[in-house]
Amino acid sequence: MTDVVSIKGLSKQFGRIQALREVSFTIPAHSIFGLLGPNGAGKTTLFSIVADFLKADAGSVEVLGVDTRNITQLRGRLSILPQDAQFQRNVPILDQLVFFRLLADRTLSEAREEVVQSLEMVGLQSVAKRRIGSLSHGMVKRLGIAQAFLGQPEVILLDEPTAGLDPANARQIRDLIKQLQSRATIVVSSHNLAEIQELCDRVAIMDHGKLVLAGSVDEITRSDRQFDLRLSRPLTEEELARLCDLDGVREVREAAVSVVGASQGGADYAVRLDLSDGRVDQDAVTTALLRSVLDMGVTPRGFTEGRSLEAQFLELTGDAGSVVA
Amino acid sequence: MRHIRLICLHWCRHAMRSGSGLVYLMVALVFGLSVAHILIMPVEQLMLKQKRELGQTDPEAVNQMIVGVGRPIAQWVLGLRSMQEIAEESAAPPSSAEDARADDPWTSYLLEEKPALLSAILLVMLFGMPFVISFLAFNQVSGDVQSRGLRYLLLRTERRHIYFGRFLGVALFSTLVMALIVATIVLYMTMKIRIYPGGALLVWAAQGFAALAILMLPYIALCSLISASVDSPFLSLVLAKVAIAGVLLVAVLGGLAWKPAKYLLYALPWAWQCHLLHPASSHWMAAGGACLAYTSVFLMVGYVRFAKRDL
Repeated sequence: MTDVVSIKGLSKQFGRIQALREVSFTIPAHSIFGLLGPNGAGKTTLFSIVADFLKADAGSVEVLGVDTRNITQLRGRLSILPQDAQFQRNVPILDQLVFFRLLADRTLSEAREEVVQSLEMVGLQSVAKRRIGSLSHGMVKRLGIAQAFLGQPEVILLDEPTAGLDPANARQIRDLIKQLQSRATIVVSSHNLAEIQELCDRVAIMDHGKLVLAGSVDEITRSDRQFDLRLSRPLTEEELARLCDLDGVREVREAAVSVVGASQGGADYAVRLDLSDGRVDQDAVTTALLRSVLDMGVTPRGFTEGRSLEAQFLELTGDAGSVVA
Repeated sequence: MRHIRLICLHWCRHAMRSGSGLVYLMVALVFGLSVAHILIMPVEQLMLKQKRELGQTDPEAVNQMIVGVGRPIAQWVLGLRSMQEIAEESAAPPSSAEDARADDPWTSYLLEEKPALLSAILLVMLFGMPFVISFLAFNQVSGDVQSRGLRYLLLRTERRHIYFGRFLGVALFSTLVMALIVATIVLYMTMKIRIYPGGALLVWAAQGFAALAILMLPYIALCSLISASVDSPFLSLVLAKVAIAGVLLVAVLGGLAWKPAKYLLYALPWAWQCHLLHPASSHWMAAGGACLAYTSVFLMVGYVRFAKRDL
């Protein structure tokens, strides 16, 4: 798979704040790539540099083989839903989007047709002649998505595309993103980790301007052969020691955040396995572990193989407060 | 060029919907028509008095009155005589006053060869419109940078297209408003005052309109430069006002205390602009060239800043 976005050693400073520190990673073609990080991690700054809104202090970005400092060569091939960018308040929506298409060398009738299609796609065709001031926050967000999907962009950057949307609209946008995957590479930043886990093939996790992890969602959630366990009651020190003594178990510890289920009561544990010597396989260890738990008179209430993206994110960033479930 | 044209027309088309376009239209109309009203009203009263006393108006006498009253004021506005010289001249016997007139072809051209009343209106507008134009031009990009709305355009066109397209949009809108004001004044003078031939009025109005349109360009370009340098539209407006009025104030008041301070007028077209109504073609061409040179410099400096900055 060829890389369509290549970021090398990207750094950016605003006054005394180091927003990005030598960030490097690549994004393969036709993937849905998730950019994760707590508030202030540098996600929006990264998007803004990729789109050449901001100038990097060091490093480079190539999109579709073009250095983004020559951003005009990417006209029509790269589009973005910028975060917090406002449309013109007193100009009808239709006029604004038609104007965007006229800049893409369309005739007036072609431009109108494309805009109507794009508005239909996000369910805004009925408000085409209205002005921004009369739209709800969710509608404005969908309008932003409509403008990002205009034309046939090959790379689409979506900065928090479902923030502020109700569940039905958020679902609609996620479905749209999935549909577009066949013809475009989509980069999504979000706080909604469940959404990223559902949508994306690959993710990068950022914290304090640094890239802390990048890889496929599958690799990340399965890394280190770990699973999460919810039990009917907390284990004693002695019971924990017994579980740790099992063959293939490296560590059993209380989970910092509940990630298996949301039911009241019980206790959550993170179990790390050590299968490096090949004497036992994962299934055998899991069976032995669950049997021991049952022998202790404890009922397993939840079991998740591998770690959720959220658990990984929290461990890497240490920022439970910024997560929106 | 297509993008520049599209951005120019889009800006112009929606200028009325944005606050700045509407405010400029109102302020420019109020200023232009108030100037015309203040200068035309005494003339109308004189004509009314003539009609009441003589049964008819005497255009020649009315014009002589306008020329007599207008000459010292025009000389002062054109910088040909100081207030003190004008006061001394009024106190002097009539013969020496006649000599002073003979030495001054520029004022004679404006008041005797051209319709004097329209000349007076144009001179005041040349002086006042630079203060008004910033109400339109201050927010060419700063507002969209602050609201980040410019980001919807940045991947669709080049920064130079946005910058120059909006400059031209402001210039086009300002020119249309200027044409509206001048046309209204000329129409009123043709229909109501009737002391000048229609053709002469029309030709002189066209020249005056061209002078105003050219004069606005450097001030719009200065606003483009300021607007491209700051994110806040309010700060952009304040800086534009301070720059335009400050240069004039410091040069005039500073010049009283320290003569070289008057050369500060050359920082903006203040020292050139009255020459746009000069009888000698070398003068008005030099003034026009100076206006275009200021425009080019301000535009280029502003563009370099806009092209390199974070948006």
